[in-house]
Amino acid sequence: MDDLTEMLKGTLEGCVLQIIGSEETYGYAITRRLHELGFADVVEGTVYTILLRLERNGLVQVTKRPSGLGPPRKFYALNDAGREELATFWAKWEYVRSRIDQLKEGGR
Amino acid sequence: MGIQDIIEGKKQWRAHMARVKALPPDYQIVYKEMQRYFFKVGPIDLPDGPLLPGIVDFFEEGVAAGKGVLEIIGDDVAAFCDDLIKDSRTYADVYQESISGKPGTTEK
Amino acid sequence: MNFWETLTGSDLTREWKAFEVRAGALPADYRAAWEEIKGRLFPYSDFTGRNLMPILDSALGLLEETAADGQSVHEVLGDDIAGFCAALAGGERSRTYRDRWREQLNRNVARKLGRLGG
Repeated sequence: MDDLTEMLKGTLEGCVLQIIGSEETYGYAITRRLHELGFADVVEGTVYTILLRLERNGLVQVTKRPSGLGPPRKFYALNDAGREELATFWAKWEYVRSRIDQLKEGGR
Repeated sequence: MGIQDIIEGKKQWRAHMARVKALPPDYQIVYKEMQRYFFKVGPIDLPDGPLLPGIVDFFEEGVAAGKGVLEIIGDDVAAFCDDLIKDSRTYADVYQESISGKPGTTEK
Repeated sequence: MNFWETLTGSDLTREWKAFEVRAGALPADYRAAWEEIKGRLFPYSDFTGRNLMPILDSALGLLEETAADGQSVHEVLGDDIAGFCAALAGGERSRTYRDRWREQLNRNVARKLGRLGG
């Protein structure tokens, strides 16, 4: 689906947290995962800015490791604060989703 | 102090720019335009912060992945830049605070 | 410019002299631009001028970096140095300038990458 950028804006950070939460990983792999999910418009740069923000806000643990080819890679894992943030994200998501569903179904 | 430290023939800065020069031409062009933009906007953590070296790290990974620069950051380079410095104060912010007379900025 | 001369005797003098040494290493058109920037930023300074130092430092950094790149100063600053300085100092007018810088950035990238592709 095209043109999801605006709609995804507020949720992409949560998606990235979720991906990091399931296993320690690096930026390009996260982007690939998002592409596989069907978010083809998400570029590496967007993920990079999100990772930078997560790091600055102390939500992830960063380890630099050599890679097979190319420069060393930064690997990201969630710390306790990150896991808390992820739980908050899902709670908010659930709230928004249920309200919007309700709206769609014409309930009040 | 300040940007002169990174500009004036300092070893670190030269090493940094040598890494930039080792990038493919399209990456170099985009890097230089981005850096120029940052100089104008003036985020205060630009001189000794991780922003610029981090971009080179990120670009090197893109090169290793065999991608073009706009493929990894998208067409809107300015939006990418703004995302990167979203949480940073700028020199202009600091200046504006100094003239609005916020505490701790008054001169003796 | 008188204002800058009144700085003598303060601890800013040393910092100020360092600026001038750096500016002296710039090409002539850049030096002229630097003189104009100083003049234009003057009204923004407080009593000591200290609050302008980081902004001047940043402006000089931009000049140094672009001069090393072989660009003309006009390409970098455009016609409106007064507006440029207002934007550096922040406040009301800076928003429109930031938009202009944004457009300039994307335009430059598109043009230079286009040239590259031949």
